[in-house]
Formats: sequence, C-alpha cells, structure tokens
Amino acid sequence: MIAAGNHSFCTRAVQSRSVAGARTMSDTISSVPPPMARITGVVYLLYFLTAVSGELFIRGIIVSGDPAATATNILAHERLFRLSAAVGLIATALYIAVTVLFYGLFKPVNKTVALLAAFFSLVGCAIQAFGSLFRVAPLVVLEGSPYLSVFKVDQLQTVALMSIKLNVQATYIYLVFFGLFNLLIGYLIFKSTFLPRILGVLMALSGLGWLTFLSPSLANYLLTYIEVLGIIAEASLMLWLLVKGVNVQRWKEQSSAAGWRS
Amino acid sequence: MSTTVMMKRIAEASPRFKARMAGVFQLLEALTAGFGQVIVLDRLVVAGNAAATAANILGHERLFWLGFASLLIGVAFHIAWALLMYELLKPVNRSLSLLAAFVILVGCAIQALTGLFYLAPLLILGGGSSLSAFTTEQLQALALMFLKLNQYAYNIELVFYGLWCVLTGYLIFRSNFLPRILGVLLAISGLGYVTYLYPPLAYHLFLPYLAVAAALGEIPLELWLIVMGVNAQRWKEQASAAEG
Repeated sequence: MIAAGNHSFCTRAVQSRSVAGARTMSDTISSVPPPMARITGVVYLLYFLTAVSGELFIRGIIVSGDPAATATNILAHERLFRLSAAVGLIATALYIAVTVLFYGLFKPVNKTVALLAAFFSLVGCAIQAFGSLFRVAPLVVLEGSPYLSVFKVDQLQTVALMSIKLNVQATYIYLVFFGLFNLLIGYLIFKSTFLPRILGVLMALSGLGWLTFLSPSLANYLLTYIEVLGIIAEASLMLWLLVKGVNVQRWKEQSSAAGWRS
Repeated sequence: MSTTVMMKRIAEASPRFKARMAGVFQLLEALTAGFGQVIVLDRLVVAGNAAATAANILGHERLFWLGFASLLIGVAFHIAWALLMYELLKPVNRSLSLLAAFVILVGCAIQALTGLFYLAPLLILGGGSSLSAFTTEQLQALALMFLKLNQYAYNIELVFYGLWCVLTGYLIFRSNFLPRILGVLLAISGLGYVTYLYPPLAYHLFLPYLAVAAALGEIPLELWLIVMGVNAQRWKEQASAAEG
C-alpha cells in the first residue's frame, strides 16, 4: 500500500512536472506571432495576375522581325503600351512584397538561406524594373520629335524594335535570379516541417528550369517544359498557401526552436 | 565614468542620434541628387534642340561630370537614409519596414543606373573619330535621346521612391515616437510619386500638385528629424513592446 502510495505520488510529481514543462514550452510557442501564409498566397496571386496582364497588353503590338509594323502598332496603342510598362512595375513591387513575406515564412527553417533567397530575388527585381525602361524607350525614339529627323524613319523603327529585344534580354537575366530564388525556396520548403515536401521539390525543379536562361538558346529550346513546370510549381504553392496556409502549430514549433519570437 | 554607464548613455542617445542622422542624410540626398538630376540638366539641356544641348554639355564638361558624380553620391546618401529609417521604424512593424527597405533598395539600384544614361552623351559627343560613321547632327540627336532615357529611368526610380514614402508614412503614422501628421504628409507625397507609373499623368499633375505635395511631405519630416529627432523614451517603449 505504502509502496503503491509512493508510486502514485511519484507518478503525480512527474506528471505535474512534465505538465509544467509542457506549459512553458507551449507558452513560448503560442507567443510566436502566427505566420502570414494566407497573405503571402494573396500577394502571390496578385503578382501573377499583374505580371500576366502586363504581358497580354502588348501581345498583339510587337510584330517580331517587322520594325515598321511594330512601330505603327506602338504609336496606335500608345496608352496600352505605357500601361503594360506600368502594370509590369506594379508586378515587380508585388514581387518585392512576396520576397519579404517568403523571408518571414521561411526564416525559422534557415535564416541565412532565407536571407540569401531574398537578396537573389531583390537583384532580380531591380533588373526587372530597370529592364522596363527598354519597354518604354521605343516611345522616345518613335514620338516624332524634330531633333530625331536626322535619322531615317526606318532606322528609328529598327532602334525601337531593338530596344524591345533588349527588354526581352533583360527579362532573361531576371529569370536567372528568379530561378536561384525558386531553387532556394524549394530547398527551404523541403526542409520545413510545415509545408508538403512535394511543393519544395516542384519549386526547386522549376528554379532549375529558369536557370537554363543562362543560355537563352537552350531555354528557348526547352521553353514549353520550363513554363509548364514553372506554372505547376508556382500555382500549386500559391494555391496551397491561399487555401491551406501552413501548419501553424508546426511553424510555431520550428520558429521557437530557431530561437526567435517576432 | 564606468563602461556600463557609458554604454547605457550611448544606447539612450542612439534612437535620437539615428533620427538626426536620418534627417541629415535625407537633406544631403535631396541636395546632391537634385543638383545632378535637376539643376545641372536644367542649365544645360535645351528641350528639343540637340545642337544647343550638345554645345552646352561640351562647353560645361566639368559641370556635367560634377552632376554625374553628385547623382551617384546622392544614391549613397539615399541608402544610408533608408537604412536609418528602417532601424527607426522596425519596432512599429518588422515586415512592413523590411518591405520598405527592399523597395527603396530596388529604387536606389535604378537611381544608380540612371547614371549610365546621364553619362552617355559625354561619350557620344566626345567620341572623336571612333564615331565618325555618324554625322555630327546624328550624334547630337543621340546625346539628347540618352538624356531623355535618363529621365525615363528616373521616372521608374520615382515610382519605387513613392511606394517607399507610402510605406514609411504609414509606419510613422503608427509609431508612438513621431508626429502622425508627418506620416500622413509623407504618404500623400508618396502617392504623388506613384503617378510616375504613367508619366504623362505625372507631368500633367506636376505643377502645382506633385511639387507642393513633395515639399509638404519631405521638408517638415526632414526638419523634424534633424531638430527634434524622435522621442527616445517612447521609441524604447515601442521597441521593447515589439520584442515582447
């Protein structure tokens, strides 16, 4: 009886100690502010919508290999042309927001890698924003200012089309940094405890796909595959964040284990 | 004085000192970038007249180089200013202040790249025989065209600067250590700069709306930061509350 009593006392003591331990642990975890997973999904979606519509605006305007037709189209749709550049800049601004949100989301997994990913993306965003200059530059050339009459019209039209090609080349450079970003985000998702690993694998593969733009001819050869892979990877990550969010309990555990709270 | 006391004093002085330095860097940025992008170009560029512009640039080559150097130094001041504002406003909202810092870093990268187009006219006009495939008139037209591209690139920078002003204005508004009105004014001037997304609209609104909004948004903030700094006590309260 005595033994049994002692035993039960001991058990209770151990139980109460472990309850107290669990409470302090769960206190720490619950003091971690929740991740902004859904907001990330929303901003990610807005980025896709603006980025795609910016490109759709100029779909019919550029006639590759025909400077005269392109110039006529640009001047006839000047507003649309300017709008596409404006929407492109908004997309870049949204992507900077995505970058900050991803950094906050994945900092608990590995702070250094998360920061590296953010810096890659930031360089990519700067190139994308600067590249948009070459999208609007044709307007400078084609606006018909008298001082440009020292050039022949077809020369100016050729320069305008060349500028649009430079804009495309700037996009290729941007895509390389975007690929590095996706690759690292894929790694962080894979190492995380709060998102399905398959999303990480897909993101890393899509990142490798964008990296082929180091050689634009190779990238153009593989373009369909790269684009399909990119759309599948990013759309599934975006939808997952939007619909399911992240596993909040596990995210908090990982972030309190990483030793930071705000 | 013991080291601990000294360290404590430095820590106490720090938010106010950072705020004052932020104001100083803001002023220096406005002076240097304004000199490079506005004053020098206003003096030398004759709108629509490539020959006169070329003659002005070649006649004031030193001033033109000074404008270029001033523009780049302005970018450095801009980055220092943005970093200090990030440090000051981090206790208000960590994610948003990081977003503001990232937005302005992209803006500063573009601001630095405008230097490339700013400098191009000198290379084109002073290129000598290596450019003899073009006529003098053509080279002069190219030089003026590059100055227009400089303006276009600067417009892109202004969009990001405007977004930074909106975010920073919001953070100042939510802070306990700076007057709310400064945040409101900065955010309004930021919205003005965002109209550079569609430059014809911005040019249309520039006088008086954008110019007045910019002056009201930036000058009071600059003066407040330099003269008053921040309320150090309240800054520390908000900072320790944020660290929870």
